[in-house]
Amino acid sequence: MSPSDSVYLLMLGSGLLGGFGHCAGMCGPLVATYALNFRTVSDPPARDAMLPHLYYHLGRISTYGTIGGIMGLTGSFAGIVQSIERFQNMTMAAIGLAMIIMGLAASGMLPFRKKKGNGSGPGSAASFLSRMVNRVIQVISEARTPGSFYAIGMATGFIPCGLLYTAYIAAAGAGADAQSRTQGFLTGMSMLLLFGIGTAPSLLLIGRIVALKAEWIRRRLYRIAAFFMIMLGVVFIYRSVVR
Amino acid sequence: MKRFAAVSLICCVLAVMPIPAVHASDPSTDCNIDQGPCSKRAGDREIIFDISPKPVEAMKEITFIVHVVSSDYAPALLLDLSMPGMHMGKNEVLLKKRPDGKYSGTGVIPRCPSGRKLWQAEIDIPAAGKVSYRFNVAF
Repeated sequence: MSPSDSVYLLMLGSGLLGGFGHCAGMCGPLVATYALNFRTVSDPPARDAMLPHLYYHLGRISTYGTIGGIMGLTGSFAGIVQSIERFQNMTMAAIGLAMIIMGLAASGMLPFRKKKGNGSGPGSAASFLSRMVNRVIQVISEARTPGSFYAIGMATGFIPCGLLYTAYIAAAGAGADAQSRTQGFLTGMSMLLLFGIGTAPSLLLIGRIVALKAEWIRRRLYRIAAFFMIMLGVVFIYRSVVR
Repeated sequence: MKRFAAVSLICCVLAVMPIPAVHASDPSTDCNIDQGPCSKRAGDREIIFDISPKPVEAMKEITFIVHVVSSDYAPALLLDLSMPGMHMGKNEVLLKKRPDGKYSGTGVIPRCPSGRKLWQAEIDIPAAGKVSYRFNVAF
C-alpha cells in the first residue's frame, strides 16, 4: 500500500471515529431535529425513509469534497478559510434562522400558515409581506424533494467545525506536497470525500433512530424537537455573529 | 402555547449565554504560551516548547519550536495537536532540526465553534518519552 493510500484510509478512519466521537455530539441534535421535522411533514413509506437522509449527506459530502479540492489545489488552509469564513458565518446564521422557523412552524406558533387574508386587503403591503413570509416558511418547513434535501445538506456542509478544519488542514498539506495543481485538487477532494463518507454512518444512525420512533412517542417528542430546533437555531445565529 | 413560548425563550437565553472564558490561569492549562516558552522534563532531559507569533491564534499558520536541552536527538520530531475532551482528528506537525539545534515546524490550530480554547501539544522525544503542554489559544 502506497503512502497516499494510507492517507485516504486515515481520512476515512478519521471520519468514522470523528463521526461517533465528535459529529454525533455536535451535529447529532441538528440531524435529529431535522429527521423529526421530515417525518412529520411528509411521512414517507418506511422503505423510502432513508432517502432524504442520503440526499442530505450527499449534499454535505459534496461541499466537503469541493472545499477539500480547493484546499488541495492551493495548498493553503488559512488563506482559503479566511476567504470563506464570512460566507460560513452567513450560512450558519441562515441555517439557524431556518431552524427557528421550522421550530416555530412545528410548534404551531406561526400564524401565517393558518390565517390566509387575515384582514388585510389583497393588494396591501401587509398582505404581500404575509404571503412572502408564508411562502418562505413553507419552503423551509416543508422541503421534501431530493433537490431540497441535497441543498440543505450542501448548506450544512459550510457550518464551521473543528474536526472538519483538521481534515482541511490535512488536505491543504497534501496539496502543498503534490506534484501538480490538478493532483493537489484531486487528492484534497478525495481526502475530504472519504472523510465525509466516514462521518455519515453515525449521523445516518441518529437520523434513522429518531425517524423510527413510534408515532405516539414522536408526537410527544415533537414539541420537544420544535423546542430544540428553536434553541439550536438561536445558538447557530449567536455563534455566527459572536466568537 | 404560552408556556411553550416562555420555556423556549428561557432556553434560548440560556443557550446564548457566553461560554465562560478560559484564562491562562485555568487549572487545566499548564503552559501560558502567550507569556513565553514552557519548560518540562522528559526523563532526564529538559524540553522547552514555544509557539510564534504571539498571541497564539487559532486558524492562522504558526510555528512550533521545541528545544531538547543538551541533547542531540533525531533529525525530526513529531508534534501531535489535540483538544482535551474532544475528538478533533489527527493534526500532526513535523518538526525539523534547525542549524541552532532546535526543532521547528509550521501548523494550524483549528477553531472549535463550541468556544473551547484549550489545546494540547504532545511531543514524542526518542529515548526520553512523551511530553505534553496544555495551553489556550485566542480566536
